[in-house]
Order: sequence, then structure tokens, then C-alpha cells
Amino acid sequence: MKIKTLPVFITIVFFIIFFIFFKGLQNSNIYVPKSEFENDIPSFKAQIFDSEKKINSTDIFDDGKFYLVNIWASWCAPCRIEHPFLMNLSNQKNLEIIGLNYKDKKENAKKFLKELNNPYEIIIQDKDGTIAIEWGAYGVPESFLIYNNKIVKKIIGPINKDSFLKIQERIK
Amino acid sequence: MYGRKVKLRFFFILLILLTLILSAFLILKSLEENVVYFQSPTEIQSLSEVDKKKIRVGGMVKVGSISMEVKEVKFVITDFKNDINVIYSGVVPNLFTEGKGVVAEGYLKDKNFFLATKILAKHDENYMPPEVKAALEEK
Amino acid sequence: MASLIGYYSLIFGFCFSLLIVLFSIKNFRNTNIFDNKIIFLTFMQFSFVVLSFLGLILSFVYSDFSNQTVFNHSHTTKPLFYKISGTWGNHEGSLLLWLLVLTLFIFIFLLRSKEQTKQYRILTLLFQQIIIIGFYIFVIKTSNPFNYIFPIPSEGLGLNPILQDPALAIHPPILYLGYVGSSIIFSSTLAATTLNYISKEWAKHIKNWILVSWIFLTLGILIGSVWAYYELGWGGFWFWDPVENVSLMPWLALTTLLHCILVLEKRLALTSWVVILSISTFTLSMCGTFLVRSGILNSVHTFTNDPDRGLFILIFLFCLIFLSLFIFFFFHKDKTQLSNNFFWLSKETSILINNWFMMYFLAVVFIGTVYPIFLEVITSEKISVGPPFYNKLIIPFLVPFLFAMTIGPKLKWIKSELRNKFNLITFLIISLLLSVLIIKSLNISFLLNSLLITAAFYLFFITLRDFFTRKFENLSQSISHFGFSLLILSILFNNILSTEIITNLKIGETFVTKKFKINFEKIEQKEEQNFKAIIGKFSVENSKGNIEILNPELRIYNQPNIVTSEADIKTNFLTDKFMTMNLVQNQDYFNIRYQTKPLMIWIWISVLMISLGGLKSLIKKKYEN
Repeated sequence: MKIKTLPVFITIVFFIIFFIFFKGLQNSNIYVPKSEFENDIPSFKAQIFDSEKKINSTDIFDDGKFYLVNIWASWCAPCRIEHPFLMNLSNQKNLEIIGLNYKDKKENAKKFLKELNNPYEIIIQDKDGTIAIEWGAYGVPESFLIYNNKIVKKIIGPINKDSFLKIQERIK
Repeated sequence: MYGRKVKLRFFFILLILLTLILSAFLILKSLEENVVYFQSPTEIQSLSEVDKKKIRVGGMVKVGSISMEVKEVKFVITDFKNDINVIYSGVVPNLFTEGKGVVAEGYLKDKNFFLATKILAKHDENYMPPEVKAALEEK
Repeated sequence: MASLIGYYSLIFGFCFSLLIVLFSIKNFRNTNIFDNKIIFLTFMQFSFVVLSFLGLILSFVYSDFSNQTVFNHSHTTKPLFYKISGTWGNHEGSLLLWLLVLTLFIFIFLLRSKEQTKQYRILTLLFQQIIIIGFYIFVIKTSNPFNYIFPIPSEGLGLNPILQDPALAIHPPILYLGYVGSSIIFSSTLAATTLNYISKEWAKHIKNWILVSWIFLTLGILIGSVWAYYELGWGGFWFWDPVENVSLMPWLALTTLLHCILVLEKRLALTSWVVILSISTFTLSMCGTFLVRSGILNSVHTFTNDPDRGLFILIFLFCLIFLSLFIFFFFHKDKTQLSNNFFWLSKETSILINNWFMMYFLAVVFIGTVYPIFLEVITSEKISVGPPFYNKLIIPFLVPFLFAMTIGPKLKWIKSELRNKFNLITFLIISLLLSVLIIKSLNISFLLNSLLITAAFYLFFITLRDFFTRKFENLSQSISHFGFSLLILSILFNNILSTEIITNLKIGETFVTKKFKINFEKIEQKEEQNFKAIIGKFSVENSKGNIEILNPELRIYNQPNIVTSEADIKTNFLTDKFMTMNLVQNQDYFNIRYQTKPLMIWIWISVLMISLGGLKSLIKKKYEN
């Protein structure tokens, strides 16, 4: 009897440890923002990239026009992958692309844009990542399609051919 | 009744059990005493009374708040909701800069003043302490 | 190009893994002779991993930024040495290194185990292949070092300058040799348990592997803490940081295992201990990788955070744990006969007592490390466990531990009487007097301190006497134990006698205390290939009028743009003088820290000595056979 209970007990203990580690993995350091899909865009005030000027979110977004807010950084490798799609989208007439430069160095970001061209109408700076948090971003890159001050579509991760076509479809 | 061997064995098992319980007790007790809790400025504001225990306060260093003297460094930690004044005499880590994340360990004087004994460094400029992220998230 | 070759060799290596498993199972069933083709296959697998690793190194050397790993961690202006060491300074590369050592060790194992039975060799190989395949999948699925980026960036992001350091360049390989060495112990123990193969001969054969990984693990920890000492600028060498703890835990288990295997070799006892410790050493190493790599721990040293990776290691780790539990409970038969009971005064009893102490230390470190995770999951409160916790729980128990360490080696196997009682008691009295004297003169009347110093001195003198009388039965043991006593003594006096001054100074100012006068004379600037340096010139005058010049540095690295402070350390055999400076943005004041740290170098020397003892034992064995 004794010999049977011990293995079972130990196995259960290890299962509990496993479960706790598993839970810990999910909630500890990975920062998960509010998961509800907020339809209204958050308002913010931020510094414009490479200038001292500050801008209000209300000055950026007008009604009746499509905007794509793209969170990017020069240190993010997938951002390079999605860049050609952004360049392509920047040629669309009824779409303005707003860049949100996330936790980045100015010089690096400049180099990045020089190398790969600049698809952005306006770039705002998010040095400490607080604006991205308000937007409920999961990471870099991430893009939000906006119409009439509402988020109509959210693309987590780099834009690929599929999401690119969907964006084109939506803004027609 | 029982043989000598059985008795010896019983005694041995008892001894092991006792040591296990004793060491478990010791460990738990000193865990309780030596654990350092993390709090954000907002949580400190909502405290009903100020504790004598060592805590950690995390947030961002408020821009323009650092002032240095021979003996100490003063600055303000903010979580964009509430602020707390920190007085610190000790080594300042490399990445201690205005507008960046910081975690200070020390004792609360009252709800607005914190005497720090240590400022924790992280070797990554883009780093934000998870505690700070969580605090910002609650905002 | 190089990364393409690297990637394909990685895939080929994986295919060889499958081939090896196939052939081994066939060979295991069919014949009685070990199929030499398997050794060849293992060699091929190893070669492919080497090729893959070389591919990655070449990509780093030639700064091939189409490789994502290189792009993320390298930069053209980085010195060549750090380009190479950058290969394993990141997550992907370090996993490739894991794989490299895993395959290398199983290859050596097969070559060096010819006198063992076929079944045992093949089963060990199979268990090892399970680990290797697990790591292969991990590398290829979640952390492929050869990811391609297009368009190709013209410049990389650079390596964290704090990692651009000679000590940290060799720290991971050495530590991994220790970690991964324990994988061989793990697989061979599982094989031996399954086949009921555990014997004195087996113990003799596996002891070498234990010694090798123990030596590397000890050295790895040493290098890590030397690095922390001079690079982190806190003047300490051990912070009880979770990342340090995870390397200490396998070390504790491995050290205990090393002692148990001796008992097994001599007396065929403590077999359960050996099996459990072999399993836990490796699982603790894996656990370390999990905790560090997943970012579940909140530590100062974690650099990469990726929950997917964490999840994979976690599942893999627990699969291994459950597999070994299953084998242990279903196959293991304790061979210790009842008549073999230990007499209370014998070498094996003292080893057993110290085993329990080691397990206690291990439990303390383990609980201190994982408790914050548990509490956060259960109550979502964020906490950290500080050094006082460990000091309080470990230091008092070091006293009986040290005593057992002193007396134990003097005892004989099976049944013993205390010989040389006179000597033992005289030395005890001498150590007691000495420690009382020291405590009195230093004015720190503190019971625990004096007890601890007595115990450490006791071990120190008794082992020292062994060297002089040349009557040691076991030189390697004497060296290691002597090293340990020296370590404890140096740490103690270092702690008691350290002094520290922290102040903020402007250029040209002088800071005066009773003992020192610190004069901040000037700063100079210097340009290097990948950083700019601001060098401070300080003169420190002590009460005797001796002047010492110290030049701590601030380095501003170009890529990534990070400021680090480089401590200036003046070392001699008595004491270290340690100074760091730091500049806070927009301030005229420099933040200065000056410390004197007595006996610092002896801490390093004593740890070297401990591992030297292991090396001696390894060489002696070969000599005798």
C-alpha cells in the first residue's frame, strides 16, 4: 500500500508544480493589454518624430477617411518583412499611414527609413511604450485600420499578403 | 512485540519526519519575514497605514525630477496617476534616467516619502519592469 | 551562404537522430554485439551539428545580416572576438551550443564505454537521443538561429555591451559543459536502472562523467560570479539572484551525487540516492534553462523573454521528469541489503548526514527561487525574495555541515572509531581560541560568527595538516575540502571587513572621512572602435598617507547605444580596492562608490582549488586503471 501511494503522491506534486509554472508563464512577464476590442480610438498627445512639436490625436484623425496606425521599431525584424506592403499601401489615395515608433532610438529609426523608404504620413514617437499600451497593442509590429475615429480592423504581427488584400478590400 | 529492527526503523522515520517538518517551518517562517512586496505609487496612496516593512516601489522616473547633492539623490517615481518622492543615498545604476522605468527598494517614511536603500538596475534600455507594466496597465 | 549551410546541416543532424534511434532499436533487439555503425552515425550527427555551429559563427564573423540572429545581436564595428562570442551570447546560438555539447558527449560516451554491456550502451544512447531530439525540435520550431530576413538590413543591432566581455565570452560554453554533462549521467542512470545494471563497476565508470561535469559546472559558476563582481559594479560576487540560483541548484545536487557515487563504488549502498540525484541534477539544469529563457522569473540578468519557448521547455522538462519517475518507480530495486546497515560512526554515515544538509540547502534555494512565481499565480501579488532569506536559513546550518566535513574523511568505511582523538581535539581548541581572538579584536561579539569561524578554521587546519603529514588517503578530497574551508573563511572575513563609501562628487572636489580622503582630480576622454570612454582620475589617500590612483570608466557604446560603468579594481593578495563612477543625465555630480574588499582574490582561488581537487581525482583514476 505504502509503495503505491508514494509514486501517486509524488506524481501529483509534480503535476501541481507543472500547472503553476504553466500559469506563471501565462500571466507573469508577458504583458497583455486590455483584451476587449475597443472600438473608439484612444486619445493621446504625443511628440512628432524628429521634431519638438507635440500633436493631439484629434488633430490626426478626421472623419470620412481611412487611417492605418502602424506600430513599428527599427529593432524589430518582422517590421522589415511587412515594410514592402506598407510602401505599397502608402500609394493608396484614400489611406493615410500613421507610424507609431515604439521604444526606439531616433538615429536607428532614421536609418531604417532611409534604407527602406518612408511610407508614413506622420510618425509619432512612443519612447516608453505608453501609447502602444493605450492602444491595447500586443507587440511590434501591429496595425490598426481606422475609419470615423473607430478601429475597424486590427492586425497583430506583420502585415502579410492576406491581410494586405483585406485592407485593400476594406478601403475601396 | 516488535523486533529491534522495526523499532529502529520506526524511530528513524519519525526522525526524518520531524526534521522535514522543522525545516519546512523554518523556511516558511523566514519567507514570511524576508519577502519584499512590490507596490506602485497608486497602491501606496491607497494604503490605510504605513508599514515598517521593506518594500519595492516601481514606476517611471518623472521627467525633470532628479536632483543630486553630495549625500543623496532625490527624484520622483510616478505611475502617471500618483507620484512618490524618493530620497536615496547609494549607487545609481547606469540606466537610471529621467523618463525611464525604475524599481527602488527601501522603506516608506509616509505616503509621500520613500527612503530607498537600493535602486535596481536592468541591463536593457528598452526594459520596463514587469511590475511597472502591470501598474501602467491598471491605469 | 554560411547560414544556409548551417540550416541544412541542422536538418541533416536531426535526420541522423532518427536514424540512430532506428538502428539502436534494431540492434537492441537482434544481436548481442554492439553495432559499430551506430558509433559512426553518432559521429555524423555530431559533425553536422559542428558544421551548423560553424555556419553560425561564420555568419557572425562576416556580419551576414540576412540572418536574423546576426542582425539582432551583432554589428560591423564589433571587435572580431565578440563577433565570435556573440554566437553563443544569444538565445538561439546558445541552444545550438547545447545541441553541440549533447551530441559531442554521447559520442565520447560511446567511445569510452566499450567495456560496458551492449544493452546498457544502447539504452543510454536512446535516452540521450530523446533529449537530443527534444532540443532539435525546440531549436528548429521556436528558436531557429538561421531565420532569413528580407530585405537585408545594412547594419545589425549590436550586442548588449555588458556581454562584450572576455569572462562572459567563455562563461556559457563552460557552464553548458557542466549542465549538459549531467545529461549523460541522466541517460546512463536511467538505462542502468531499467536494466538493473547498477553495480560497483558501473559506479566507477559513471564517476568520471560526474567529475567532469562537476568541474565544469564549478568553473562556470566561478567565471559567472567573477564577471558579476567586476562588471555589474556592485562590488558583490553573489546576489542570490534567481539566475545565479538556477546554476547553484544543479551544483548542489551534483556535489551530493559525487559523494554518493563514492559510497556506491565502495559499498554498493545509497543506490536510490544516486538514481534520484542523477535525475534531479539534469532536471534542475533544464529547469534553469526554462526559468532563464522563458522570462517567467523577474531577474536582473534575463535578456530574452519568450513565452512560447518557455512553454516548450516546460512541457519537455516535465515529460522527462515523468519518464524518469516512471522508470524509477517501476524498475528500481534498492540493492542495499539490510545487513548492510550503516554503523553510526562511519564514513558513509557522515556522507549521508551531509547529503541531508545539502538537500536542505537545495530546498532553501529552490523555494526562494520559485516562491515568487507560486505566490503570483495564487494571489497575484508581486514579491521578491532577498539575500536575508538565504543568509538566515543557510549560514547557521553551515556550522554542523563543516564539522561533519572535517570529521567524516577521518573515519573509515563500514565501522570506525575515532583515531587521533588527541589531534582532533587539539585542533578544535586551537580553532576555537583563534576565532574568539579574532571576534574580540574586531569587536563583533556575535555567537553565530564565532561558531562559523571556528568550524571553518577547524576544517582548514585539519585538511592543512593532511598536506603536511602527507598521510592523506585521498589527496583530491583534501584539496577540495581545503578549498571549501578557505572559501567560507574568505567570504566571512570579506563580509565582516569590507568598507564602502558612496558619495556624489563634482570634478575637483574632495570627500573626506575618518579613514579615507577621496579626491576627484579630472576626467579624460578616449575613443575606441565601438565605444567612447570617459575615464575619471581619483586619488584615494588612506589614514597612513598611502595614495592610490583609481581610474573607473564610463563607456558609451555606439551600437546599441548604452552606457556602462567599468569598475577599476586594484587587486593584491590581501585586499581589493574597487571603484565605480556613474553619471546621471543632466547633472554635474558623478555618483562614486569606493569599496575595500579584503581577501577577494582568495574567494576565486579557493573555488579554483575546489575544482582542482576534482581534476586530481579524475587524473588519478586514469593513472590507476
